Amino acid sequence: MLKVRNLSKRFDKVQAVDGVSFDVEPGEIAVLLGPNGAGKSTTIKSIAGLLRFEGQIHINNVKNKEVEAKRAFGYIPESPALYENLTVWEHLEFIARAYSLGDWEDDANRLLARFEMDDKKDKLGKELSKGMQQKLSICCALLIRPRMIMFDEPMIGLDPTAIKELKSIFVELKDSGCAVLISTHLIDSVDEVWDKVLIMNKGKIVLIRTRSELDSTGESLERIFFEVIGRKEEGEG
Amino acid sequence: MRALLFLVGKNLKNIIKSAFKRPLTLIGYIIALLFIIFVIVAAFAMPSGLVRMSSPKLFRGIMMLVFSFLYYTSLKIGIEKGSSYFRMADVNMAFTSPLHPNQVLLYGFIKQLGGTLLLLVLAMCQIPNLKNNFAFEPHGVPMLLLAVVVYTLAYPLISMVIYSWTSVKKERKKLMKRILDAAALTVVLIFILDLSRTRNFTESLGNVFDNPIVHYFPVIGWTGSIASSAVSAFDASFYVGSAGMLVLIIGLSLLLYRMKLDYYEDVLEATEFAEQVIKAKREGKNVALYLKTRKNVRSGLSGQGAKALFAKNILEIRKTSLVFFFDRMSVTVILSSVIFRLIMPSEIGSFSLLIILAFSVYMMLLIQLQGRWAAEVEKHFIFLIPASSYEKLFYATLSDHVKNLSDGIVLFTLSGILFNADIPSILASILSYVAFGAVFVYSDVLARRLFGRAHSKNLILFVKILFSFALIIPGVIAAVIAASITGIELMATGAVGAWAFVLAITLFIFSGGIFNNLEAVS
Repeated sequence: MLKVRNLSKRFDKVQAVDGVSFDVEPGEIAVLLGPNGAGKSTTIKSIAGLLRFEGQIHINNVKNKEVEAKRAFGYIPESPALYENLTVWEHLEFIARAYSLGDWEDDANRLLARFEMDDKKDKLGKELSKGMQQKLSICCALLIRPRMIMFDEPMIGLDPTAIKELKSIFVELKDSGCAVLISTHLIDSVDEVWDKVLIMNKGKIVLIRTRSELDSTGESLERIFFEVIGRKEEGEG
Repeated sequence: MRALLFLVGKNLKNIIKSAFKRPLTLIGYIIALLFIIFVIVAAFAMPSGLVRMSSPKLFRGIMMLVFSFLYYTSLKIGIEKGSSYFRMADVNMAFTSPLHPNQVLLYGFIKQLGGTLLLLVLAMCQIPNLKNNFAFEPHGVPMLLLAVVVYTLAYPLISMVIYSWTSVKKERKKLMKRILDAAALTVVLIFILDLSRTRNFTESLGNVFDNPIVHYFPVIGWTGSIASSAVSAFDASFYVGSAGMLVLIIGLSLLLYRMKLDYYEDVLEATEFAEQVIKAKREGKNVALYLKTRKNVRSGLSGQGAKALFAKNILEIRKTSLVFFFDRMSVTVILSSVIFRLIMPSEIGSFSLLIILAFSVYMMLLIQLQGRWAAEVEKHFIFLIPASSYEKLFYATLSDHVKNLSDGIVLFTLSGILFNADIPSILASILSYVAFGAVFVYSDVLARRLFGRAHSKNLILFVKILFSFALIIPGVIAAVIAASITGIELMATGAVGAWAFVLAITLFIFSGGIFNNLEAVS
């Protein structure tokens, strides 16, 4: 579903992403882990078509910047940015129109109910709290019924109920055959759901492991993470 | 495209709808609308050339100077940050949706057209003054406004194209900056050389900016020529300018979305910057004037309790200033005020400092907007400091007065030397400038106390500007009476300054309890 080959991105003198390659298959949850500044967000923004890059990115066998590729993926940015003067419902309507969705209203209602926002349909973007904005941002991405979806630090700002709901959504997306890519630096937040982990450090992918590979060695994700990024695990001398 | 039109329509509809939900906001919008109607009627209906009929050459000179300055500053920022018609919501939702980038760009254009409205109103506010001094043609006002629209459409496109080219290599960025600076320096040098010959500012303005090379100079000359046709018949330079700008705008748009569809990254940084500007505006700051923070400032604070606010603000001012308290705002206010006096006709005679005081106060109101205290209340710290509301307000605003005093000393000492003013007049002007600064700060505090956190920052600012003008009218009347009776500049300055001082104290007393009822944002 998602194929990234030799992805590189340079900002002036900083090589933010350096020759990164990986795949995310349909029905797979891949987690992009890494410390701050590892290049996770730049990788996601490049895949979302917001940055120019070197290398190849294909979504559903189409180049990521093609309109057909855009139809297939959803993107939830790190900081939610909404239209200040559009209501919650109008955001969803805009997305439905932009993606030419049919019969979207029931799905929209279901999503809002799941995130406990069904009573906030008429609230303007600027009237929402940061957590609510994040929830709406997630609803907008899910509404398009994506075949591939990217979450950039999705848990930040969410309440415990929403985090729990989001985790079950990850699993539902996977079960429906959607390829899921989650970027985060909070290992615990994705520990229960991931199928493949991609650990990034200093712009490179330093380790790719599947859950079964890790299970067979009996190592914990946290230990592996600290090992490969070359820092001592918290609590250890 | 329908989805994007839906976005534009809904945005507009909801802004209007939400105004009806808040009576105070609605009143504010109605006042703003009435003011705009008044300005439009005044701009079109008032006769021109009543006070004096200055030469079209001077008008051309002023227009060319204004557009040179506008293009220079906006392109400089463009090279550094790019330029964007978009907000982050567009980046995250519209850019990633399956809409063609050319449609998204067109949507950006539509939004930008909406954005020009504010600039058009600002331009219209200048028209009565221009009409008083120049003989406008019947087509004059529309042509002047056309030039403003053309400028607001052209500069983001030029910035975007330059940014795409320069962002690839740092050397290109340096080269473009040097070219722009060299061009600006050349113009300044030519002007100074001409000034040394003529010894007359307005004559040199005409000589340097009103000549065929400038008329046909791409972009700046073209835009200036469109504006200049306000006071003369349509000539070749107007047709060349209009055609040139039309071709430029269409050509650059085509270049952006036909030849190179991949402009999203170019506008990304600019959009983030635009988002910062909007945030800063909410906090009462003007980002364009405070671009960099100096790191080599010796830190360390003094004072206990509320006094620490003053020390912190002074440290912040030093970090964002060019030298001492002197920042870009100071340079803008001082330079524009002195140039304004130089352009004014010679019959103003001995009232030079009063004219400079009036213009600098006007500029301060437009540029400073709200002062530092507005940024302070966006954070929770000031609410937590264990001190009285009056004390906190006093110390949170004291740094603004100190900065205004510093600016005032430079401005009026320089002006006093240039225009041979006496020391008492210079001192009175400095103190009046500080007093007006205090009026603007405390009228803003009072507005915040009355309205709470603004529904629309632009609206509150607009109402505040009108309110401030209304408040200072008695002072202006007092100054006119003092001037006509005594004929002495010091008396007029003293009268208006004394009024501003009384007003500032009164406003402080009424607004002092603000922290007892204002709610924290964060």
